[in-house]
Amino acid sequence: MWKRDGDFSLNELFKRNSFILSAVLIIGVFSVINPKFLSLYSLQNMSLEIAPLLPMACGIGFVLYSGSIDLSIGAVASVACVIAGTYVTETGHWIILYMVLFGVVAGLINGSLIAVLKLPSFIVTLCAQSVWRAMAIIISKGSSNTIPIKQRWIVNWATDKFLDFPVILWISLALVILCLVIERKTELGKSIFAIGANEKAARLAGVHTIKIKILTFVLCSTGAAIGGIMYAYKLKSSVPTIGDNLYMMAISSVALGGTLFSGGSGSVLRTLIGVISVMAISSGMNMAGVNPLWKDVVFGCVLIAAVAINSEKGGRSLIIK
Amino acid sequence: MSSEALFTTHDIGKVYGTNTVLQDINIRVWPGEIVGLIGENGAGKSTLLKIIAGVEEPSMGTMQMNGQNFRAGSMLNANESGIGMVFQEQSLINNLTVAQNIFLGREKQFSKGNFIIWSKMNAAARNVLNAMGLEDISEKAKVRDLSFAMRQMVEIAKVFDIVSAASNNHALILLDEPTTVLSDEEMVVLFDKIRQMKQRGNAIIFISHRLQEVLEITDRIYVFKDGKLTAEVETQHADEAILYEKMVGRETNSEYFVSDRQTVPAQEAVLEVKDLSMFGSFKNVSFNLYKGEVLGLCGVEGSGKEDVCAVLCGDQAKTHGAIKVHQRKVDFKSPSDARDVGIISVPKNRREDGIIDILSLAENISVANYQKNAVYRLISNKNQRENAKHWVRSLGIRCSSVNQRIINLSGGNAQKVIFARVLDSECPILVLDHPTRGVDVGAKGDIYALIRSITEKGGSVLLMGDTLDESLGLSSRILVMKDGMICGEFDCPADNKPEQVDIVRLML
Repeated sequence: MWKRDGDFSLNELFKRNSFILSAVLIIGVFSVINPKFLSLYSLQNMSLEIAPLLPMACGIGFVLYSGSIDLSIGAVASVACVIAGTYVTETGHWIILYMVLFGVVAGLINGSLIAVLKLPSFIVTLCAQSVWRAMAIIISKGSSNTIPIKQRWIVNWATDKFLDFPVILWISLALVILCLVIERKTELGKSIFAIGANEKAARLAGVHTIKIKILTFVLCSTGAAIGGIMYAYKLKSSVPTIGDNLYMMAISSVALGGTLFSGGSGSVLRTLIGVISVMAISSGMNMAGVNPLWKDVVFGCVLIAAVAINSEKGGRSLIIK
Repeated sequence: MSSEALFTTHDIGKVYGTNTVLQDINIRVWPGEIVGLIGENGAGKSTLLKIIAGVEEPSMGTMQMNGQNFRAGSMLNANESGIGMVFQEQSLINNLTVAQNIFLGREKQFSKGNFIIWSKMNAAARNVLNAMGLEDISEKAKVRDLSFAMRQMVEIAKVFDIVSAASNNHALILLDEPTTVLSDEEMVVLFDKIRQMKQRGNAIIFISHRLQEVLEITDRIYVFKDGKLTAEVETQHADEAILYEKMVGRETNSEYFVSDRQTVPAQEAVLEVKDLSMFGSFKNVSFNLYKGEVLGLCGVEGSGKEDVCAVLCGDQAKTHGAIKVHQRKVDFKSPSDARDVGIISVPKNRREDGIIDILSLAENISVANYQKNAVYRLISNKNQRENAKHWVRSLGIRCSSVNQRIINLSGGNAQKVIFARVLDSECPILVLDHPTRGVDVGAKGDIYALIRSITEKGGSVLLMGDTLDESLGLSSRILVMKDGMICGEFDCPADNKPEQVDIVRLML
């Protein structure tokens, strides 16, 4: 993650890896406030929160590396959560496949509008957010529904422990590895960075910019849908508002990982650290008994601060396209 | 010449990380003098100008302006001290008008309350333009509607105006390759203006890769090599050969374009263009490009040659006509499609369209052909780096490692990376759009030799030379375009090159 190029200087090295420092700092502070913060029980709880956020954050990471933004991931997760929570009792685990396909389709719609019609990603995904959020409420008829206790056995495996940690955490970590392979080893991943750094040059060098941009949004929405399914399995219910601030958390995670929002840089591993930081803040505040309403205030400020620290001042500074 | 220097530097140096790009620079500029800075790309000329103009901080050393210690800190401060810089890359804002650009950041003088009185600003801009002899540029035109040359003149007019206002004709104006995009007439106008500035007592520091220009306009020349000041010559005692020798330490000769390695093209046409047209730009362009040939495309700016190349490398869509590659009709909609049939380009604007700035050398090279370094479709980063190292060695790219960001390379070295990219794509047809623009003499020679080895290996090149000299020297055949049509064709065998005047006559 810190090997992307070789212009080393101590200052740069520090700046580029300050995301690790911030994670250690956050965890350190909360451990002092509450010594039980790093107990196994607490970590298990935290991992339940981390698991669904990871695929979402990794997914939107790709969009951010490419220099675009996707605001619709929370709403996509809501729809996936609602449908999975409502129908898993009828279809069984096939619902996972269906919802992944839903994610692919949602990404294809976003990506095609952005790459083919050349609409700004901010507007397209803002509208998609509005549409999918409404769809989630319509499908759920406006309320959360829990899976009947008799049928809970279908989804219980997701939160069962495997090597002390819930199964969905392991699934998420597997997805992180998959994303890492995509990022480091595939033409898709490399092209995403090239487009984020200089789309015109990448295009002239023969990168299939349209195809790659569409696929970037497909990765992102698919990650969001998987996150939504995980929430349904974890909460054992369908919650139409689950995604309302998830996009904020996911973007904060990527930012806390030290990814430049101007595109062309970043890493899944950075995002992993970022997700841990975000969830440490969230759980830490819960454990310290802070009113949950304040969480959104904190994340708003954290996002701004993280972006401010990481943006390259001067030259190509922060751009959200 | 007055007895007191206008501007001096003492032991100025600049270090990026572990990389020293400038060392112990002591220069002295007198009022009413034009000083030339020459040297290969990466010699540190542009860095020095940026330090003087306040864009970069010096790592060591001091500067004096008008006998007082001077540390720019920012461009604004430099401007207030009477130092202004015209950049190599254009810094105008395209969607603003000429007048808005000229007075960008200085609008207050035209304001009444919190509103700007546009008519006042436009009138003032008109005066600035007229003073520069730019009567044909409208102050109300949007910058994006001007040609590159026009933009350059506007930019120079703007900087002249800023510093002459601030310094009462004791200004220092820095021109970093102001002539690369200018036509000959525009250059005459520019030089005229520069001399006028000089006569009023201002000093000018002038960077150009064209030695002729430097000899024509300057009074004194500083020669840079590898970040050091290696020579200072009075222009009246210098000629091109002397300067060239001091710059590169080797002499120029008739073998500049490596003509003895010019290939005789095979009979096999690799690219056939028939009645190609693009509405509003060119029409009915037909030609063949043969295996092992360098085909030069000449014409003035706006003759349509740029768009012909843009269509052939998939950047623009044709409106009519047919393209055949290896006898197969092809139809492409994007540069990636063109790459897939074997055509790839070296773009003209290296900074905007060539380099992928914040990515590494290795990534920049393999972007056109990722699969070359892949094992079962998974790209090996190790192979990618090894491959890049191979190109660094064989093209003589100067860099600290293949992981270095390409943006930190000098122009000539960055251009070699772009060549490595197109060669790595293994495309048999290369469209070279001003391949030596903004490249120093040494790297130019390397690129010429490279073009020769490309054709020796059976590759074909469609060339738009940076100068007519270059097109003639490199090409086996030349097509001349005028007003969107091909109006002439010249054979250019190595031993019998056509006269430049004959070609220019057709171009105009």
